[in-house]
Amino acid sequence: MTFADVGGGALRAALALALWGLVASAYAARGRDGRALGSARWSALAAFGLILVASLAMAAALLTHDFSIRYVAFNNALETPAYFSAISLWAALEGSILLWTTVLAGAVTFVAWRGTRELPRLATTALAVMFAMLAFFLFLVVTPAADPFVRIDPAPLNGRGPNPLLQDHWLMGLHPPLLYLGYVLFSVPFAYAIASLILGEAGDRWIVATRRAALVAWALLGVGIVAGAWWSYAVLGWGGYWAWDPVENAAIMPWLVATAYLHSVMVEEKRRMLRTWNVALVIGAFALTILGTFLTRSGVVNSVHSFTQSLIGPLLLGYLAAILAFSVGLLLWRAPRLADTGAIGAPLSREAIFLFQNVLFVAATLTVLLGTLYPLVVEAISGAQLSIGSPYFDRVEVPIALALLFLMGIGPQLPWHGASRATLERQFAAPVVAAGAGSVLALALGLRGAAPVLGYALAAFVVATVVQEVVRGVRARRTLHGETAAAAFVNLFRRSGRRYGGYIVHVGIALIALAVVSSQSQATFAEATLAPGGSMQVAGRTIVFERFRDVTEPRRTQVVADLRVLDGGGGAPMTAALTYYPNASGAIGAPGIRSTAGEDVYAILAAYDLRSRAWATIQVKVIPLVSWLWIGGLVVGLGAVIAALPPSRRRTAIVAGAVPVGSTAGAK
Amino acid sequence: MTARIAILAGVLAVAAAIVIAGLPRPETPAERVDRIASELRCPVCQGLSVADSPSDTARAMRALVEQRVQEGRSDDEIRDEFRRAYGDWILLSPPLLDARGAVWLLPLAVIVLGAVLVAMRLRRAPPPVRPSAEQLRVLRERELAEEAVE
Repeated sequence: MTFADVGGGALRAALALALWGLVASAYAARGRDGRALGSARWSALAAFGLILVASLAMAAALLTHDFSIRYVAFNNALETPAYFSAISLWAALEGSILLWTTVLAGAVTFVAWRGTRELPRLATTALAVMFAMLAFFLFLVVTPAADPFVRIDPAPLNGRGPNPLLQDHWLMGLHPPLLYLGYVLFSVPFAYAIASLILGEAGDRWIVATRRAALVAWALLGVGIVAGAWWSYAVLGWGGYWAWDPVENAAIMPWLVATAYLHSVMVEEKRRMLRTWNVALVIGAFALTILGTFLTRSGVVNSVHSFTQSLIGPLLLGYLAAILAFSVGLLLWRAPRLADTGAIGAPLSREAIFLFQNVLFVAATLTVLLGTLYPLVVEAISGAQLSIGSPYFDRVEVPIALALLFLMGIGPQLPWHGASRATLERQFAAPVVAAGAGSVLALALGLRGAAPVLGYALAAFVVATVVQEVVRGVRARRTLHGETAAAAFVNLFRRSGRRYGGYIVHVGIALIALAVVSSQSQATFAEATLAPGGSMQVAGRTIVFERFRDVTEPRRTQVVADLRVLDGGGGAPMTAALTYYPNASGAIGAPGIRSTAGEDVYAILAAYDLRSRAWATIQVKVIPLVSWLWIGGLVVGLGAVIAALPPSRRRTAIVAGAVPVGSTAGAK
Repeated sequence: MTARIAILAGVLAVAAAIVIAGLPRPETPAERVDRIASELRCPVCQGLSVADSPSDTARAMRALVEQRVQEGRSDDEIRDEFRRAYGDWILLSPPLLDARGAVWLLPLAVIVLGAVLVAMRLRRAPPPVRPSAEQLRVLRERELAEEAVE
């Protein structure tokens, strides 16, 4: 038996199980049949196991260079190191659909087994929806559309090797799985929302049951996007991290909608309104994950003409259309049951800010969608080619982002229902002073232009609101519970994690905003053609080009320029290189990056004397604060973890005894 | 009272800083080259601008922009030269005043429409009853308790 036999067989068996699980869980949801539910549960677990076996078979085939499998022959070579062999699992279309299917099967198993003894009807119905989605993806991987185990005969002696860009940096092992985990986990809230519509439930049980799944999906997607930006910065060698590339746009769209969703569900939980809207948002976020996969995997973003080359494009588009038609139809049918019972408060209430925030997030998403699809639509209709790139997106999205930063500062400071003048003054005095200080700081740092200065002011505003909230929380705990300051601080995050974890996320976003403002508006650039030993000046620093080095490895050759950055002391060494892979026509840049808290020095070997190595053209960018972008991403992730963790048990027990709990998922 | 003065001072500081930072100042030739290059697409890259890309093609285009700026050509003249060579595709940002301008209007329309919808809901809502200090304290405690349960 070969790896291809094992993997292909496992996937076919898993498809059979998924179809059975769909029937069994649908039957269990209708007839409340315990045996059918048990059968569906075991089907989920068994299908997950089989798909894991298939993934492991593919990983083993990659690690042992089994070139009788076409995917391995095209994405692996004898020279590929083990780490990059293993992560070639998601280096191309078939492998990444396999990874998607694996994660989705894990999510199905999670939904199937989360209740201990029996599943509520809502969860059982959601399970059926999940099985249907799993069956579709299994169908993709057992048909030629995305079959990873297609054989090639005779097997070549060596493979072509992975895409050079994907075997250059360890982040490639992290960024795609994070994104896929995020993408796929959105199917859990989606499935529950659909189940809730099917059952005609009016309450927010589906939201409560999937609050953590939605938060974790959102956080994984967000951290995955930041990891992707970091990869782009470290590998692509252009000194930037975000180009409004269709692939990036595909990832940010569901994240934007999910951010709106995470906030507007709070309005439904607290104020019993926005029910239809929240279902629409979760449908939108989920549909955008599928649209993103379609855009990036069908080749349609390069040109509408590459669309028909693979069957996967039309299939994914059909799947997207089916999902949209089904869920929107269902939503319209059930909308009368989802009427709001609560009412909105004053314009300066937390719920009103959430509404405006939702409008801005939806506008931001539609802008990205429009900018991404518009060239495709124009090309399909008139054949004319046009481009929509950063100048467009920056001009529209920057004002929206600034407005959102502003709302991020005021929203959490406003009470539900509305605020009195005294409350407003008490809540905003310190943050507004901080905003003033932030804007003065921006001027002192030499920032020019209204938007960057406003960005600094708003970031300071947001951080100040969070500091104020934490200080007040600590003070309240000290007087109420007699805790020490340190204990009160820790307990704030452990006992009210959702609230204070959310604040940490806000701080992370403020850090990202500062990093983006500074790196975009204050980067300095210089280019010079130097002989070995020559030097250049950029932003008060001297960069010395010391020598050339040729590095030959089995899988690639590198031309390395050894550089030294002189800034006071002995100087720090760094290298900028061009890498040549046998399977790529051009050279791949390997920029040299020297990161400090204040700035990055980023060096690119742009060109060199091919014959005698007499000169090199070196580009150097000095980019302030850019590393705070990655740190901000980590802070966002940390905040999400705090918000998702269950509160510590002792306190929960006491409060659960004191407060009637009616709406939690397991309480049915 | 102190709070009110603090808020006023903060708002004034932000406003003054924005005005100072936003004052129009003459663009240096290097900034002009950067701006024009950032609006041109690098033809051999995946959606990068000429200003961003380190590729040979982009560097040659940037050098041409630099030369034209030195020659004293206007922005439109430089852009048109590239458009004649590559087509509209070379511009990364669609022109505002033509059929393609819809791309600019739509986001604005969404925001305005959304804001109007929210504002209408706000108007329809009954005027908020201002809770007493005691009610506020109870509400706050309930909120804390709910948070602890979540």
